[in-house]
Amino acid sequence: MKAAIALLVLLAMPALASAQPYIGSNGPQKGNVEFSGAAAWTGGYDAGDAAALETRNTTTGSGPLTLFNVSGDVRSAPGVEARIGFFLTPRLSAEALFQYTRPVLHANLSDDFEGATGSDADETVSSFLFGGSMLYHFGSGRFMPFVLGGAAALRQVHEDSSEMVSGLEIHGGGGVKWWFNSSGRGFGLRADALLSSRSESVGFEEKRRVVPTVAGGVTYVF
Amino acid sequence: MIRLRSLVVAAMVAAFCVTDVGAYLKLGTNLGTRLVTLKFNSFPIRYFVTNRDVPGVTAQQAQQAIDRAFATWAGVPNVSLSSQFAGFTAATPSTGDGINVLGFLNRADLDRVLGSTSFTVDTTTGEILESDIFFNSTFAWSVASGGEPGRQDFESIALHEIGHLLGLGHSMIGETELIGGGRRVLSAEAVMFPIAFAAGTLNRAPRADDIAGISDIYGNDTFRRATGSITGRVTKNGTGVLGAHIIAFNPATGKLIAGFSLSNDGTFVVAGLEPGPHVVRVEPLDDGDINSFLDPANVDINFKPAFYNKLVTVPRGSTAASIELKVVPK
Repeated sequence: MKAAIALLVLLAMPALASAQPYIGSNGPQKGNVEFSGAAAWTGGYDAGDAAALETRNTTTGSGPLTLFNVSGDVRSAPGVEARIGFFLTPRLSAEALFQYTRPVLHANLSDDFEGATGSDADETVSSFLFGGSMLYHFGSGRFMPFVLGGAAALRQVHEDSSEMVSGLEIHGGGGVKWWFNSSGRGFGLRADALLSSRSESVGFEEKRRVVPTVAGGVTYVF
Repeated sequence: MIRLRSLVVAAMVAAFCVTDVGAYLKLGTNLGTRLVTLKFNSFPIRYFVTNRDVPGVTAQQAQQAIDRAFATWAGVPNVSLSSQFAGFTAATPSTGDGINVLGFLNRADLDRVLGSTSFTVDTTTGEILESDIFFNSTFAWSVASGGEPGRQDFESIALHEIGHLLGLGHSMIGETELIGGGRRVLSAEAVMFPIAFAAGTLNRAPRADDIAGISDIYGNDTFRRATGSITGRVTKNGTGVLGAHIIAFNPATGKLIAGFSLSNDGTFVVAGLEPGPHVVRVEPLDDGDINSFLDPANVDINFKPAFYNKLVTVPRGSTAASIELKVVPK
């Protein structure tokens, strides 16, 4: 009889453990609101190549004559990011996202037929993301890893111009939050690492591009 | 006041006289301090063809090629112009008879001129009242669909000359080399380049620069809303440069469109550009004879070609912020 009771206890313990709240009263709870502010960095990408071509006089050669070549890239850029989150459950939160960065669209100019001076041209772009993410948290206590995914509207405004590029952005990745106190609320640090896929973005050719994004800053849960 | 102006603007192999090349790609006339663009105001443009055959091309074949050339210009999107063949005539292409005549003419004295366009214009309005084009019958011509070696493609030259007839000046998007006392064209990216290819049919279709030019003159509101321009100054040692050639290249489309600095302060405008970032390059006017483009008196060609160090983003329906292109002497 004693043996039978011990077996029941052993079998029951895992069930009891899984029924517990994952961080108990410590940590964000349903209905909590979280504010995050961070310094952000977006990675660069190949913006495309192009050649300024002229139609060749067929008596002087074949194929087009290249006046000059252009090789484009968008350089990695610092920026800022802000998020407002709402905890739907202790593990799951929904966030609104705003990100602003200033990437540089750069063109390397080469092989000029007449040896033109100058080899670079660039412009600074103001890049905005407005969107949202869903976060799923793991762990408990001070250290809370999470994964997230979401979508945003991308607006990139050219320098000294009203022209802009508009696209749809989707992102996915993960990060960690580390709370300053053991309650798992109040102030903490937050780091995110994402891949951001953009249907349109500044460059010399239209195509979907994936850029890495990292952000690090502070967070506060009410 | 109606005044006759004779413009010899042609596909050719060397220099000849040009007057009043007005603003970027366009022919113009001065009205006081204002520059007025030359253009037809009444449509269709009725034209006659001289009833004269030359070896390889009958008058009827010439008329058909001329008709196609007119249609090519009229077919540019968002351009409003039309033409109508009025018949064959015994008249030669000469100004002052009140009708537009295109046809062959023996001009053995112009041994480097394939064709030429002349005008009668109302200098108070810029309206073209009459325009005539001669094709020099001393050259060998062809209307073969694929062209013929050793013969000038009639339709290509007709497209160039009709470009003038409509008010376009010369483009300088092209490269040349001096050879045997003359100038040979290596390449061109404009039908309105002043020096013709030796043969072939490559210039039967207008390029981006030609399209921007004809659209600038006859384009409708859709064109103006959809395109923008780059403006600025070309300077050398702080002083304006007259006659510099400014090329705007759109890496996204591969289109080359250009203009000139047309005043002593070096001011320029390149119009008809699609929205988006452009590479801007400035060069001296040294790939053609200067007087094919401008009055050479004050044109400065003593500077090195150079790129502008910023990408210039053209706004839709508007003008980008003014830029300064600084060049250095050769």
